Amino acid sequence: MIKISRRQFLITGAGTLLGPGLLDMLCPFTPALAQKAPKDIRGRIFTSAAPEELWKWSHEGFLYEKLERDRVVCGICPNSCMLSPGDRSICRSKVNIDGKLYSLTYGNPCSVNVDPIEKKPLFHFLPKTTAFSIAAAGCNFRCLNCQNWEISQVRPQDVRTSELFPPDVVRAAKSSGSASIAYTYSEPIAFFEYMIDTARLARQQGINNLWISNGYINTKPLLELSGVLDAANVNLKAFSDGIYRKLNGGRLEPVLNTFRTMHEAGLHFEITNLVVPGYTDDQEMAEKMCSWIVENLGPDHPLHFLRFFPRYKLDRLPPTPVETLVKFRQIAMKAGIRYVYVGNVPNNEGNNTYCHNCSKLLVERRGYHIPVLNIEDGRCRFCNTKIPGRWA
Amino acid sequence: MKSPNEKAIHRVVIATGISSIVTQLYTIREFLTLFEGNEFIIALIIFNWLLLGGIGTLLARRYPGSNHGIDQLGKITFVLAGLSPLQIILIRYLRDILFVHGSSVGFYPTFYYTFFTSSPYALLIGFVLPLSLFVQRAENPGYSGTTMYIVDNIGDVTGGAVFSFAFVYILTPLKALFFTNLIVIVAACLMMRRARAGRCSIVIFAVVSLAANALGVLVERPSLSTGEGELVHYEETFFGRLVVKKSSGGVTLFEDGIPVSSSENLIMAEEAVHYALCQTDSPGDVLVIASVSGMMEEIDKYGPDTIDYIQLDPAVSTLEFRFSLLKEVPGLRVIHQDARAYLQGADKTYDAIIMNLPEPETFQVNRFFTDEFFAIAKAGLRPGGVFSFSINGYDNYLGESQRLKISSLYNTVQRHFDHISMLPGQKTFFICRDSPINEDITDLLRKRNITTSYISGYFAGNITRDRIGYLSDSIESSTPVNSDTAPYMMRLVFAQWFEQYQTSPVWFFSCAGLFFIIYCFFITKEEFVLFSTGATLMGSEILVIFIFQILFGYIYLKVGMIVTVFLAGLLPGAFLGQRLRGMSPRVLILADLSLIILLAFIVLVLEIGGHGFPELLFYAVAFAISVLSGLQFPVALFLRGGDNPAAVRTFSADLVGAAFGAVIVSSVLIPYLGLVWAALGLIMLKTASIIVVRSSHD
Repeated sequence: MIKISRRQFLITGAGTLLGPGLLDMLCPFTPALAQKAPKDIRGRIFTSAAPEELWKWSHEGFLYEKLERDRVVCGICPNSCMLSPGDRSICRSKVNIDGKLYSLTYGNPCSVNVDPIEKKPLFHFLPKTTAFSIAAAGCNFRCLNCQNWEISQVRPQDVRTSELFPPDVVRAAKSSGSASIAYTYSEPIAFFEYMIDTARLARQQGINNLWISNGYINTKPLLELSGVLDAANVNLKAFSDGIYRKLNGGRLEPVLNTFRTMHEAGLHFEITNLVVPGYTDDQEMAEKMCSWIVENLGPDHPLHFLRFFPRYKLDRLPPTPVETLVKFRQIAMKAGIRYVYVGNVPNNEGNNTYCHNCSKLLVERRGYHIPVLNIEDGRCRFCNTKIPGRWA
Repeated sequence: MKSPNEKAIHRVVIATGISSIVTQLYTIREFLTLFEGNEFIIALIIFNWLLLGGIGTLLARRYPGSNHGIDQLGKITFVLAGLSPLQIILIRYLRDILFVHGSSVGFYPTFYYTFFTSSPYALLIGFVLPLSLFVQRAENPGYSGTTMYIVDNIGDVTGGAVFSFAFVYILTPLKALFFTNLIVIVAACLMMRRARAGRCSIVIFAVVSLAANALGVLVERPSLSTGEGELVHYEETFFGRLVVKKSSGGVTLFEDGIPVSSSENLIMAEEAVHYALCQTDSPGDVLVIASVSGMMEEIDKYGPDTIDYIQLDPAVSTLEFRFSLLKEVPGLRVIHQDARAYLQGADKTYDAIIMNLPEPETFQVNRFFTDEFFAIAKAGLRPGGVFSFSINGYDNYLGESQRLKISSLYNTVQRHFDHISMLPGQKTFFICRDSPINEDITDLLRKRNITTSYISGYFAGNITRDRIGYLSDSIESSTPVNSDTAPYMMRLVFAQWFEQYQTSPVWFFSCAGLFFIIYCFFITKEEFVLFSTGATLMGSEILVIFIFQILFGYIYLKVGMIVTVFLAGLLPGAFLGQRLRGMSPRVLILADLSLIILLAFIVLVLEIGGHGFPELLFYAVAFAISVLSGLQFPVALFLRGGDNPAAVRTFSADLVGAAFGAVIVSSVLIPYLGLVWAALGLIMLKTASIIVVRSSHD
């Protein structure tokens, strides 16, 4: 028989008994794990990545500051890319050529479609109409679940494009019978110059301008843009700066500032919030977000809770349970937001609009079809309450 | 007569061999669950493992020798037994520390992660085999390196067989490792009875090692509960890991970490079913290849006589019904078989075949998107029948790789059907038949009084004439077709994958190529023969498995048997080589020539289709390749002099060759050049080996 000393016995015994227990305690396989991992996926400037020559679809930047040694700082979004000659911005669509900032996406959209306005989603703006929707390449975010990554996470020269300068866009929108032009899909902030020039022209021609965006923009260009916008849907991706940095590569505060600015400018806008399991499906976070909206933006801006589906790089999470979305809708309504919707869930009560005063059904939505519309002159047909938005 | 120590060391080597193979296979499964499961990643993981093993073996050259060899061997064996479960736990734990939970991470992060997390164990397992030889030789200087090779192979074959035919059915990974490593610990304890080490240290090592394995069993289930939702079911099947999570009434089934089926997902169910079925007048018999949750109720709206649902993994369909992801409807029959093999052998024909397989990113799945399969599907349809399948969709822009994928599939399927419609829904749906196809789905459904939640409201806005036109106009008629023997889709899937992560494999292959050149510069000609043999063995194993699946379908036990046969032939080969080693260079050349003939036979099978060949022939080919590979080891070792440094280098050459064989054949030769050229590439490698041997011994 093997003989060991008492000390050896105690050490071995303690190791045997406590080892697994201690390790088990230390072993952090808990849901909180989702809060760990890389803290920031924000994009970086692409040094020496500008084309040698400008192309047909180049346009000098709308807002930028010139620095010494031919460097420039883009003033459009909070990324504030400081570019030396030959560098490319985080959004991939701006370059510094010989000390001047150029956008490379002026008149060359890579995606052009006519969509129902409900698809944006905009539920309180000209229902039953269509939006002539355009996008050019690039984005100032790095969302892991981007559904348009093939155009948002590439350079303008990497995609097939059509040539549509602002007057062409307005013409095409008119001939398609669309009531609006939507700047959408990728991230319109990345093609700001193209968007604002098109929007100015569209307004002159009586076509509405819709901005579908992540809202990551500086105040000055936003105010300029607001002057020609008719409606917007801005994505509030999470009410947590940490999640913004981790899943989207952005920051929360500038987006909140965008909401405040649009609200002060009197623009009609709707808010979308994608409920991502394990990240933005936290009830407490939803409550805080709704309180903030009510306090800062009032109760009238519609809020859409969207169902998450695994996409792009974020493909190992389950879809959001419908019950969670329904619960979030209740939380938001309890917080005082009057119009709260559930998105990406067909035939759900949360697709419809109910009067905040009399609770009667105002708009029944079956997908993009609207079989029931009980709003007349912007007012509830039953109790005559004014319903926020533009209805005709 | 064997000394007691020799027997004890053999027991340790065999036990370690069993444990190493079981650990390797579970580690690979773990990586595939935590990262992507495409063929590139599978090859990458095997490459890392074998390369690290080869490097570990080479490191043994630096072993100074010691009078305490058995002590050291014993302690390292204990460490290995303890490391085995800890490695799995570490791999699970670090995944969400280093990467964003729920995300996929792409090629290089996967490469680095798999390389570094498996390196301690893989290096040590590579190191321990030559160490065992040195320890034997310290007592018995005449001990043959070939004997050690044979003993190690006995362990490997046993490990492979135990894993494939027992553990995978009855045990979870960390429980399987617990039992396997228990044998290792016992074997090491028995060996160390004669060691000089203090009994106390033996006990401590054994107990700590055992504790690590016990820890593995304890944390196995909690370690899977890393995220959102409650883990309500966990099961390991021979096809992979199945996990069911429940959250706020929603149920999701994960297969190897990917959510494959979720409740409340009407959109996918409606699209998968109605785009195809509404084309037929009366779908009497419907065949469903893999499912989408909720689709049976949708099919039932047409009142078919029978619905045959084919699901390869019985556990998947069991869970689908148990968690109400699928509903039992009248006429439903569940068939657990490879769908391709079923259709090839079925007498029954169908009015509709609806295929819902995932993206063709492995050879196994690619078989369902090829010219040959589309012919089989066509033959399985009645006149006027409809066949539908889908691949990943896009929202507003069709990326270049996706465009080529769709083009390749269109060009392939249009060889068999007169009419094809592509509908850009949540996925891109291909509706194929010989009669005209009506793309006004809502109208067709309305006429049949079939109600839907998603299609009726969203189809008109999402799948507009313009969007359908955009997709059709994007088809590139010159894109090659996808076939069994030239899987063009695999190449596109890889390209798209790299595009998604904005990386390129160029750096990896440049570094691997540089390593190969440096390695070739330092190895002897005999080692080059073994290197090429390792590569040929691994490459031909991949080829034979792939061809077998094409001809006979994916049948787990049979594919497991091929893998076992490939390992098992090494033993008689090594015995034979030991006897023939006196005829050294000629044996090497003859073995190489025989391998070339066998590879040429594979080329022949590929060229003529191979459908007349019996299954047994493939086992025979696998066995013959394995025997010939095993035969070369003792001969090459004999030629190198058989001393310790020679043994280390020959062991290593075999492993490094296998590493390169795995990655080159799987991720370059087959996807880019096709199966025939992959086999010809191996023939060229073996020809080079003959030239090398001849030049050195003329």
